[in-house]
Amino acid sequence: MMLTLSPSARKSANLIIHFAERESKARYKRSLLGWFWSFANSLTTVAVYSFVFGAVYNAQPPITDNGRAENFGLYLFTGLIAWTVFTGVVTGCMGWLQDVSDLRKKIYFPTETALLGGAACNAIQTALEAAVLLVIMALFTNISWTALFLVFALLLTMMFALGVGFIVAVLNARYRDIQYLTGVLIGVGFFLVPVVYPPSLLERDDVPEIGRQLVTWNPPAIFVEIARDGAYFLQTPDPLKVLVATAWAVGTFTVGWLYFRSRSMEISEEL
Amino acid sequence: MTTGEITISDVSKRFRLDRDRPSSLKEAVLRIGRTTDIDDFWVLRNVDLHIEPDSFFGLVGHNGSGKSTLLRLIANIHRPTTGEITTEGRMSALLELGSGFHPDLTGRENVFLNGTMLGLTRKHMAEVMDDIIGFSGIGDFIDEPVKIYSSGMYVRLGFAVAVNVNPEILLVDEVIAVGDEEFQRRCMDHMHRLRENGTTIVLVSHDAALMRSLCDRVGWLDHGRLVEVGDPDDVIDAYLKHASQDEGDTLTARD
Repeated sequence: MMLTLSPSARKSANLIIHFAERESKARYKRSLLGWFWSFANSLTTVAVYSFVFGAVYNAQPPITDNGRAENFGLYLFTGLIAWTVFTGVVTGCMGWLQDVSDLRKKIYFPTETALLGGAACNAIQTALEAAVLLVIMALFTNISWTALFLVFALLLTMMFALGVGFIVAVLNARYRDIQYLTGVLIGVGFFLVPVVYPPSLLERDDVPEIGRQLVTWNPPAIFVEIARDGAYFLQTPDPLKVLVATAWAVGTFTVGWLYFRSRSMEISEEL
Repeated sequence: MTTGEITISDVSKRFRLDRDRPSSLKEAVLRIGRTTDIDDFWVLRNVDLHIEPDSFFGLVGHNGSGKSTLLRLIANIHRPTTGEITTEGRMSALLELGSGFHPDLTGRENVFLNGTMLGLTRKHMAEVMDDIIGFSGIGDFIDEPVKIYSSGMYVRLGFAVAVNVNPEILLVDEVIAVGDEEFQRRCMDHMHRLRENGTTIVLVSHDAALMRSLCDRVGWLDHGRLVEVGDPDDVIDAYLKHASQDEGDTLTARD
């Protein structure tokens, strides 16, 4: 059965598809290898961090479910996927809104479709990266149904990032400082989220309690943890964390969406 | 409401002047507590207007009288500061050079994008694509990015799209003046035809003769206020009389 949509919903859906296509074309325009670069990018990051933390600092990756996979790269890659969704969508939103600013001054269309389209493109790329990760995990015979929690965590991250992205995109339309500020905060945030280090690193006496709590309970950190539980440790995540993560994602998305909608008509005068 | 109807009730539009707008956080912080109302600029004030379905409405007024802003409000690009505008039917707008075109996309891609924004399917747009290419006369350039187009090509493609999507309401700002004589004549012919097929058309122009020949009714905007609405000859005569008293006006009556 065909999904029946109202004319305006269908129009929005078509626009989202258009903007997603455009984003994917624009991203790798005039590059021969196209999508390969997105893999190359994450693989290089994983290789570099594996080398620095694994070989140079000799950090031990936590043991996986099958008791081996002592590969810091995989541990890192699992967390990095969720983190990249977060940063990619938040920074993306500001750019996607700016890209359509001239257009929006001349013709009416629901502006949020540009952001949703960009996010859809990001989602496809993330899905490919996640597939690569799971294939590698399967080769290490470290895979189970819990990998679904990776998908779940990525969806929550996407929602949360869109909520934040909606807000920063509107603010950035007014004050261009926001994009630089966001860049700085993301740089700091990277180390507040246990991506390149295992959370166990914080279980030392010289780490203040507040720091430990912050790193444990900030939303991206929870998403990363759920992703890792599912795809790396092959265990069911702590239900409390799942609940908190869902609340953050749904709440942030709703607030961001409502804020964007309330401001979206004024955006054509700001941009 | 019937299709093609436009109702504008007590609409005012305020713009904040650029110098009034902080563009960085630092400036915004420094400005906290200061009143800025003095620099508000009211482009439109208490405009009441009803445009009948299936009619040809013209807007005249000196530069900066708010004509283009009114069209933008009808086109839903900006929101009125106060008051309300309701429109019924598919609306196509040709407001300025390159209206609704993304510079990096090719002409063809832009045609599809425009169709999508108007809620038309790709199938429908594919069907009218040949008409659009034919009408615009831009030939093989349709597959080049529109940023390399000349201003004439921009307008021709824009107009071709605007009239070939079966609009129920068509808004046209004075852009067609950019095209050459022959194209302008084709535009007029096409607008006549649309009009006969029941499209409501709102046209902004400084060309008094054109307005007299095309419009059923004309509205005169002066400093954001709608001073007169009615029979084209009466309104345009009153406007021209006022304009000739007003030195520095840029109206060109090409009779």
